[in-house]
Amino acid sequence: MRKRTLHRGLTAFWWLTLTFLYLPLAVVVLYSFNSANSSANFVSFSLRWYHRLLGNEAILSAFGNSLVLAISSSLIALVVGCVFGYGMYRHRHRKLGWLIVLIYLPIVLPDIVFGISEMAFFVQIHEWTGLLQPGLGTMIIAHVTFQIPFVALIVYSRFVGLDPTLFEAAKDLYATPVKRVVHFMLPTIKPALISAFFLSFTLSVDDFVISFFTAGPESATLPIYIWGAIKKGVSPEINAIAALMIAAVALAAILSLAFSRRRPT
Amino acid sequence: MSYSGVMPSARSRAMVRETRHLLFTVTPGAFWIFIFLVLPSAYLMGVAFMTNGPYGLPQMPLSLDSFERLAGFGFLGWSPGNLYTLLRSLWQTLVSTALVVVVAYPIAYYITTCREKWRPLLLLAVVVPSWTNQVIRTFGWMNLLAPGTPLSGLAESLGLVAPNMGLYPSNFAVTLGLVYNFLPFMVLPLYGAFEKLDTAQVEAAQDLYASPMRAFWHAVFPQTLPGLLAGIVLVAIPAFGMYVIPELLGGGKGMMLGNLVANQFAGASNWPLGAAGAILMLLATFLGLYVMRRLGKRLGGGEEVVI
Amino acid sequence: MKFNKIAMALSLGGLALAGHAQAEEGKLYLFNWTEYMDPAIIQAFEDKYDVEVVQNYFNSLPEMFAKLNAGGVSQYDIIVPSNYYVPRLIKTGLVQELDKSKLPNLDNVMAQFQDPAYDPGGRYSAPYQWGTTGIIYNTETFPDAPKSWSLLFDPEVNPSHPFALMGDGQVSMGSACAYLGKGYDCTDMDDWREAAQLLIQTKNRDTFSGFSDGTPALQQLSRGVIHAGLSYNGDYFYYKSENPEAFESLDFMIPDEGAEMWVDAMMIPAEAPNPDLAYKFINFILDAEIGAQLSNYNYYASPNAAAEPYLDEVLTQPPIMPSDDDMQRLRFTPSLEGDQLQTFQQLWSEVKAR
Repeated sequence: MRKRTLHRGLTAFWWLTLTFLYLPLAVVVLYSFNSANSSANFVSFSLRWYHRLLGNEAILSAFGNSLVLAISSSLIALVVGCVFGYGMYRHRHRKLGWLIVLIYLPIVLPDIVFGISEMAFFVQIHEWTGLLQPGLGTMIIAHVTFQIPFVALIVYSRFVGLDPTLFEAAKDLYATPVKRVVHFMLPTIKPALISAFFLSFTLSVDDFVISFFTAGPESATLPIYIWGAIKKGVSPEINAIAALMIAAVALAAILSLAFSRRRPT
Repeated sequence: MSYSGVMPSARSRAMVRETRHLLFTVTPGAFWIFIFLVLPSAYLMGVAFMTNGPYGLPQMPLSLDSFERLAGFGFLGWSPGNLYTLLRSLWQTLVSTALVVVVAYPIAYYITTCREKWRPLLLLAVVVPSWTNQVIRTFGWMNLLAPGTPLSGLAESLGLVAPNMGLYPSNFAVTLGLVYNFLPFMVLPLYGAFEKLDTAQVEAAQDLYASPMRAFWHAVFPQTLPGLLAGIVLVAIPAFGMYVIPELLGGGKGMMLGNLVANQFAGASNWPLGAAGAILMLLATFLGLYVMRRLGKRLGGGEEVVI
Repeated sequence: MKFNKIAMALSLGGLALAGHAQAEEGKLYLFNWTEYMDPAIIQAFEDKYDVEVVQNYFNSLPEMFAKLNAGGVSQYDIIVPSNYYVPRLIKTGLVQELDKSKLPNLDNVMAQFQDPAYDPGGRYSAPYQWGTTGIIYNTETFPDAPKSWSLLFDPEVNPSHPFALMGDGQVSMGSACAYLGKGYDCTDMDDWREAAQLLIQTKNRDTFSGFSDGTPALQQLSRGVIHAGLSYNGDYFYYKSENPEAFESLDFMIPDEGAEMWVDAMMIPAEAPNPDLAYKFINFILDAEIGAQLSNYNYYASPNAAAEPYLDEVLTQPPIMPSDDDMQRLRFTPSLEGDQLQTFQQLWSEVKAR
C-alpha cells in the first residue's frame, strides 16, 4: 500500500522534472513561430523568422563555421585520440600515472580557465612568431584538445572489453602491423570510433566558452552569434536558429536510441 | 635507460621496442595536450605573478599584486567586492548542488524502478536537453522568466518578487539556471549507483529495522554514496566556475568568480588579476577532486569519474 | 575516401593556422558598433572598388579594446572607437598614424572635429558620427518625468519600475557624478568614491534590472522589461523608425545636470592587414554625400560640414542636434590613463561585485 503511494509520488515527480527540463526548450520552439517580435506574448503562427534566417548571411556563415569546426576537430581528435587510446591499452600494465593526469586534465579544467589560458597563450605566441592568429585554426586546436581525452577513453575501454587472445590470433593471421591495423583493429573498434566521433562532434557544437575566447573576426560559430544577438538584445530570429539546433539535437537523440537498440552492447 | 648497456639481452631489446611503441602511440596526443593545454595553463599561472600594465596587460616585474587585488586590497585600501563575488559563487554552488541532489536522487531511483527496456529511454530523456547549447538553454529561461511572462506574473501575485519586476534578472534565476544545467550530471552517476544496489542488503535491513526511513538510511544510502559523491564533484566544480549563466540571467547582481575572471580578459581590464582568479578556480577544482578521491577510497567504491 | 576527408580537414586547419594568409587581398575588415552602418554604403564601396567588406561588431568599448589586444590588432583594417578610448589606443600602440595625403576628403570635416581634444591635430583618427547619451524613459509610466538623473538615482522619483544603467562603467559613473552635482566629467577621487557609493546603493534597489549597453537597453525599453535606461539619441530614433509602435511611448532626454557628448572616430589598427583599402574606406565615408547618407541612415549628427545640404531635416533639430542650452551641458567622457584608470577600474569592479 505504502509502496504504491511512493511509486505514484515518484511518477508524478518524474513528470514534473521532465516538464522542468523541456519547458525552456519548448518555449524557444514556440516563440520561433510567433508572428510578433516580442517574447512576452504569442500572437499568431508564422514562419517569418525562418524566412529571415535564410537571408541572413551572418547566420549562414556562422552555421558553416560551426560545421567545419565540429567536423575537422572531431576527425583530428579521432585519429590522435584513437592512437592514444590504443597506446594506453597496450601499455596498461606499466606505470602511466602521468599519462592519466594528462588525459584527465582537459576534462576537469573549468571551461573558463581552459578558454582564457589558450587565448592568453595564443596571443603571446602570435606576438612572437606570427603563428596562431585567432580564427578557425585556433578554435580547431582548442576543440581537439578537449576532444582527445574522450576519444582515447572510449577507444581504450573498447580494447579493454576485448578478449586478449584475439590479439594473438590476429598476430598469427596477419603478417604485417599495417595489415593487422586495417583488417583487425579498425573493424573491431569501429563502433567505438563511431560513437567517439559523435561524442566529439556534440562536444564541439555544445561548446561556447572555449570557442568564444579563441575565435577570430571571421570564425563566429552559431553559439557565438546567438550570444552576440542576446547581448545586443535584438532579433527574434534567435528563437528560430535555436529551435533548429534543438531539432537537430532531438534528431540525434532519436538516431542514437535507434542505433543503441539495434546493437546491444 | 636499459638499452645503454653493452650487450642488450633479448629481453631488454623487447623493452626498447615496447617503449618505442608506447612513445609512438602516445606521443602525438600527449604532445598535443601538453603544447595546447599544459603550457597555456602554465603561462596563465605565470601571468598571475606579473604586474598589471597601465592598460590591463601583464608586465614585468613579477609581483604578488594580483593576489592582493583578488583578496580585495587596492589603491583604496581593503574593499569587500571580490569577497562578495567569492562568497556568492560558493553560496550559489552550495545551493544549486543541494537542489540538484534533491531533484536527482528520486529521479535516478525512479528510473531504476522502471522496466529494464525503458531505462535507456528515460535516461536519454534526462540527458537530451543538455545536448543543446548552454547559451540556448539559458536563453530559454530568459524567455520564461522575463517580466510579463506567466511565471513572473505568478511570482508577482504571490508577492515573491517586487511588482513590475520579473523573475529574471536575479540571483534566483541564476540558481535555477545552474540547477537546470547540471541536473543530468547528477542523475547519471546516481543511476549507476542505484542500478548496482545490492537488494539482499536492503531486504535484510527491512527485516532488521522497523521503519523504512531507517532501512533506507542504513542500507540504501551508503550504497549510493559513491555515485552521489561523483555527482557532487561533476556539478559543484563547473558550477563554481560558471560564466554564461550568471552573465545572462544575473543582470549585474549575480556576478560570480567565473565572471570576475572572464571580465578581466573580455573587458581587457586586468589580465594578472584574471589569472589569479583562474588559479583560485584551479585550486578549488583540485581540492574537489582530491576530497572525492579520498572519500571514494575510504568508502571502497572505486567509482571512476567519467562523464 | 576517409583519408581524403582527414586530409581536407587537416589542410583546412593548416590554412587557418597560416597567420596572415587569412587576410586576403581585396578584403576590408571593419570592426564597428552594432547597427551603425548603412548596408547600401557597404554595397556602394564594394562595387566601386571591387572588394569585399567583412563586418564585425562590438557592443561596448571594453569589448572592442579586449578583442584588439587578443590578436585583433592584425586582423581588422578599421575600428570605430569613441573619443575617450582614442588616447588609450594611441598610447598602447594599437593604432597607426594616418597619412593625411591619402585622405583628401578630410577637408570636408568641420573645424572643431579636425583638431579634437581627444586627438590633437587629428593625427590618428577621422570622425565618423557624433551624438549624445541620455535617458530614454517610458512616458506612460513617468508622465511628469523630471529632466534629471533623479529618474534613475532617486528612489522617490521612481519607486516601483525596473530601470537599467549603462554597462560601460565610465558612462554610469559620469551619470552618478552628474546627479551628485559634480559634473558628468568628474575625475576627482573623492567625487568618484561618492558616485561609486551611489551606484552600489542604486544597483541594490529591488527595481534595478541590470547594466545594459546602449542598444540592448533600447530593446528592453521597447519590450517593457525596463521603464528607464541609458542610450544614445540616434539609436533611439533609428529603432523608433523601424518599429514606431513599440517606441510610441518612449522619449529621449538630456538631464539638466549634464550628460555625455561623444564622437566616434575611424582609426586604423597598427598591423591592419590592408591599410590601403582602409584609407580608401575612410575617404569614402568622408565624402559629402556618403557622409550625409550615413547620418540619414543612423540618425546621428554628422561631423561632415560638406554633408549638411544633403541631411534630412530631423538631423538638424533636437535631440539629434541638441538645443543650445543642452549643448552647454554636454561633456566628453574623460579619457583615463595610468593610476587614474586603475583606480577607476577598481571602483567599477567594486560596483559590479556588490
